[in-house]
Amino acid sequence: MEEQLLDLDNPDGGDTDVLDKPAGLTAAALASAALLSACGGSGGNQSADNAVTSLAAAPPVPAPTVSISDVEAARFLAQASMGANRAAIARVQALGYAGWLEEQFSLPGNGSRWDWLVSKGLNASTYRNTQAGFDSTAWRKLISSPDTLRQRVTLALSEIIVISVDGLIGGGWKAFAAAAYLDMLEANCFGNYRDLLYKVSTSPAMGEYLTFRGNTKYDVLSGAYPDENYAREIMQLFSIGLIKLNLDATPQMVDGKPAETYGLDDITGLARIFTGWDFDLAGGKTDNPDFMRRPMTQVAIKHETGASTFLGKTVPAGLNGPDSLNAALDIIYAHANVAPFISRQLIQRLVTSNPSPAYVARVATVFNNDGSGSKGNLKAVVKAILLDDEARIGSNPAAAAFGKLREPMLRFLGWARAFNATASSDLWNIGTTSDPATRLGQSPLRSPSVFNYFRPGYVPPNSAIAQANLVAPEFQITNESSVVGYVNYMQKAVSNGVSDVNADYSSLMPLADNAAALLAELNLVLAAGQIGSSNLQNLVNAVNSMPSGTDNRRKQRIYAALTLVLAAPEFIVLK
Amino acid sequence: MNNSKNINASRRAFLQRASVLSIAGAATPWALNLAAMAEASAANADDYKAIVCVFLYGGNDYANTLVPYDSPNYNVYAQLRPTLAYARDKLTGTVLDPMAAPVDRNGVSHQYALAPELAPLLPIFNAGKMGVLLNVGTLIQPTSKLEYGNKIVPLPPKLFSHNDQQSFWQSSAAEGATSGWGGRMGDLFEAGNGNATFTCVNVSGNAVYLSGNTAVQYQVSTNGSVPFNGLQAPLFGSASCSAALQSLITQSRPHLFENEYTRVTRRSIDANAALTTALAGAPNISTPFTATNDLAQQLKMVARMISAASTLGAKRQVFFVSMGGFDTHDGLLSTHPGLLSSVADALTSFYNATVELGVANKVTSFTASDFGRTLTGNNDGSDHGWGSMHFMLGGAVNGKRYYGTAPLVANGGDDDVGQGRLLPTTSVDQYAATLGKWLGVSDTDLLSILPNLKNYNVSARNLGFV
Repeated sequence: MEEQLLDLDNPDGGDTDVLDKPAGLTAAALASAALLSACGGSGGNQSADNAVTSLAAAPPVPAPTVSISDVEAARFLAQASMGANRAAIARVQALGYAGWLEEQFSLPGNGSRWDWLVSKGLNASTYRNTQAGFDSTAWRKLISSPDTLRQRVTLALSEIIVISVDGLIGGGWKAFAAAAYLDMLEANCFGNYRDLLYKVSTSPAMGEYLTFRGNTKYDVLSGAYPDENYAREIMQLFSIGLIKLNLDATPQMVDGKPAETYGLDDITGLARIFTGWDFDLAGGKTDNPDFMRRPMTQVAIKHETGASTFLGKTVPAGLNGPDSLNAALDIIYAHANVAPFISRQLIQRLVTSNPSPAYVARVATVFNNDGSGSKGNLKAVVKAILLDDEARIGSNPAAAAFGKLREPMLRFLGWARAFNATASSDLWNIGTTSDPATRLGQSPLRSPSVFNYFRPGYVPPNSAIAQANLVAPEFQITNESSVVGYVNYMQKAVSNGVSDVNADYSSLMPLADNAAALLAELNLVLAAGQIGSSNLQNLVNAVNSMPSGTDNRRKQRIYAALTLVLAAPEFIVLK
Repeated sequence: MNNSKNINASRRAFLQRASVLSIAGAATPWALNLAAMAEASAANADDYKAIVCVFLYGGNDYANTLVPYDSPNYNVYAQLRPTLAYARDKLTGTVLDPMAAPVDRNGVSHQYALAPELAPLLPIFNAGKMGVLLNVGTLIQPTSKLEYGNKIVPLPPKLFSHNDQQSFWQSSAAEGATSGWGGRMGDLFEAGNGNATFTCVNVSGNAVYLSGNTAVQYQVSTNGSVPFNGLQAPLFGSASCSAALQSLITQSRPHLFENEYTRVTRRSIDANAALTTALAGAPNISTPFTATNDLAQQLKMVARMISAASTLGAKRQVFFVSMGGFDTHDGLLSTHPGLLSSVADALTSFYNATVELGVANKVTSFTASDFGRTLTGNNDGSDHGWGSMHFMLGGAVNGKRYYGTAPLVANGGDDDVGQGRLLPTTSVDQYAATLGKWLGVSDTDLLSILPNLKNYNVSARNLGFV
C-alpha cells in the first residue's frame, strides 16, 4: 500500500478529481494514510524513498520513526515555516515532524529587530518622528531569520493581537515601538499565553495603539471616563471574543441565538483597570527610544483604585496598577472561551480556514492543559496544531475545501525563502507593500485596524465558499485589483529582486534547460507539489518553447517559470 | 448571521414578480423582464441614477461633527466634554440656517453648527443640495430607552463593536453577513445595466454593503483598473508563457478556494478591457480633486466611472468609498478636525464634479459610519456609541433641511443610553429605504432588501430627503 501513497514523479489529480487533499493522494490512499497516522505519533505518512539523499546530508540526529516524502515535508513547511527550501525539506525528513519542531523551538534567531535599527544608527534623535527602518527590520527577520517556525508563529500572533506601525501615536519612535512589540511577541510566542497577555497589556506600542497609555480614572470635575478602547478589544479580539464558545469553538446557543459574552457594563467596568499606565521614561528622556522597550509603568494618581466589576467578577478596591491588571487578566483568562477562541485562530493562521470542530477541540484541550497542568503553553499548542492528523493528512470530512488562501506576504516570503534571498547591502529596502494595485495588498504590521487585514469569520460573498457555509479570511483582501497587483509585483521581484533584496537561483540554473525538471523543482519547493499534472505540463510546454543554452536564456526561463508557479491557483491556495 | 432567511425571502419575492412578468410577455427576454421590474427604469438614454456610500470607518464623533449651537444646548455640550468642545465663537461661521429648525422629543428647537472644518459644505447646504439626518443608527425596530434598558425588544447584535456594527449598517446583520443592502439593490438593476459587472462598484476595500444575492462588487483602484503585465506583453519574451499564464489564472478549479480566486481574476481581466475602453472615451473632469486626499481620489474615480456610464450601458449604479481613522479614543482634537477637512474636501469636489458632468440630479452621496461616539470624553477622546449624524448630498436632495429628531444633549437623558451614546430615533433601514426608493426600488422589494423595514409605519419608511 505504501508505494501507492505518493507518486512524486507524477503528482496527479489536482486538476480534475481531487478536492480536499493534496495532489498525489488518491482517495484510497487517504483512507490508509488515516489508518497509518492513527498509530504513528508524528502523524507522518509512509511514502516514497526520496528521503535518502536528504538524510545523508543531515547532521546526525535521532532517526524519524517514519520516512517523510519531499512533498510531505514541503507541505509541512508551508504550514510551519516562512517557506520551504531544499535544506529545510531535508531537515524535516531527517528529524521527523516532531523532531523538527523541537529543533526549531530552541533555534536562535539572527538578532532582534530593535538591535538592527540601532546598528543602522536609527536611534539618533533626528529619526524620532519617523518610521525609518521599520519595514526593513521587519522584512529582514521574515526573510532571513533561521528560526523559521518562530517567525511564522510570531507573524500569526501579530495578526491576532494586532497593532499597526501607523497607529503608534504619541511618543514618536514608531519604528522602535513596533520593533519592540514584534520582538516581544517573538520572545513569548513559545511561552505562556497568560504571560503574553500581561506583556501586551504593558507594551508601550499597545498602549499607544489602543490608546490606554495616559488613560485616567473617572474625573469628577471634568466628567471624563476611562478610555474603553483596550478594555473592549482585549476581550473581543485577544482573549474571549463576543460569543460564548464550546471547547470546539462552535457557538453556545440560547433561545436559538448565539450567547454573547459581555455587554456595555462589562466594558465600562474593565476600562477602569487600564488606567494609570504610561511610558517608563526612567529619567525623562525621550530623545532616545529606550522607553519603547521598557514595559509601561504606573502613575498611581491616575489609576482607579475603586473596585471594578466585569464578567460577573470583581477586582477588589485598593489594588495598585500591576496587581489590579493581574487580577483582571486572571478573570479574563479563566473564561472558557480563551482556549477555543485562540486555538481556532492559530489553526487558521497556520493550517486551514475551516478546521473541523474536533480538530479545534483537540488543540483547545492542549491549550487548557499541556499535560503538566499548565494552561496556555503555546509550544504545546503549536505542536498540537501542526502534528494533528487533520493538518498532516489534509482532509476534513466536515469541510468541502481543506486549506487556506496563502496571504500575499507569505506568497512573497515563500519565494524569498525558497531561494535564500538576501540583502546585499543589509538594507532590506522592500518598503511598504500595502498597495493592492501595485504591490502585495498587505505589509508587515500595517493592518488597517486592530481587526487585522482580514477577519477570521470573513465569508466571500456570492461564492461557492459562502454556499458551503465556509469562511475564507484571506479573501477579505482579495479583489479585482489585488489579484493583478500581486502577480505584477512578483513578476518584477523574481527577475529584478526588490531593491537590494535578491534571490539566489544557482540551484535552478542547472535545471533551466530542462523545463520539466525546472517546473518540478518549483512545484515542490514553492507549491508543495500541489500543481496537478495537467497544469504542470502546460507550464512545461510554455517554458520549453523559450530559447535555452545560455545563462541569460536560462535566467529568462527561470523568471517565467517562477512567475507562472507563483500565479498558479494551486500555489495560492495551501491545501 | 440570520441573513439567509432574508436572502431567501428576497429571492422568492423577486422570482415571483419575475414569473408574473414572464407570463405577461412570454417571448420577452429574461433580462428585459428584470429591467422592467425596476420602476424608474425608463427607455431613454438619459435615464441614470447612482447612490454613493461614503463610509467613515471607526465610528465618527457626532458631537464634534454637528455641534449644538443654541446657547442652552451648547452649554451642555461644552460642560459634558470640556476638554473636547469647540469654542462657541469658532462655530459662528458654520451655523446652519435651515428651512425649518429641527426639534427634539419635547418640541424644543435646536440650532447646530457644522464643525469649522466642514465649512466647504456650507454653500452646498445653503443651495439646498445637502440635508442632515439626525440621530440615525442601527435598529431592529423603533426602540425606546425603557425598552432598551429592559431588553424587551430585539436589538442589533453586538452593539458598540466596530466590525459588527459596520456590518449591521451595511447589511442588517453582524459580521459574517454575505450580502448588503447596496448589493441587494444592485441585484434588481444589474440585468438592466449593459454590463452587470459595473452595477456595484467599490473604490475602497471589500465591503459587504456592495454584495448582493447575485450582484458581485467590482473593486477598482483610484487609478482605474489594473492590467496584468504578463498578459499585456509576452511574459519574459514568451507569448507561449503569457498564454499559459492566462489559462492558469482564469481556469475553473475543483477546489472552492482556488475557484473563487480564479473567478475574481477572470472578472478583473474582463472588466479591465471594458473599463479601459470606456474611460478612454469619457469626458475629462476639470473639477480639482486633492491629490493627497485618498477619499477625494476614490470619489474622483467614481466620478470618472459615472462619466463613462453611458458607454458602459449603466443605468443604475451603487458605489462605495471609505476613509479610516475615525476611532478617536485618543487625540480627538488633534486628529478629528483633519479627518473632517478631508471629508468636506472630498464631498465638495465630488458634488462639483457631478455638476460639471451635468449629472448632479442623478447622483446622491451619503455618509455612514460604524456608530456615533460618547458625548462625554475620556480626557482626549471619545468612546464607542450608537446613533449619529449623517449628510446626504446631491442635486436631487431636498436640502437645507434636517431630517429625523434632534437628540437631547445629555449624559443619561431620554435619548442616550449613558455618556451621550445616542439611542437612534431613525434607523439605517429608513435611511436606506429612502435612497432605494429614489433609485427606483419598489416598496415591495424594499421590504425584502431591508428585512427590518416592516417594523416601521408605512408613512415613516421614506424620510423624504431625496
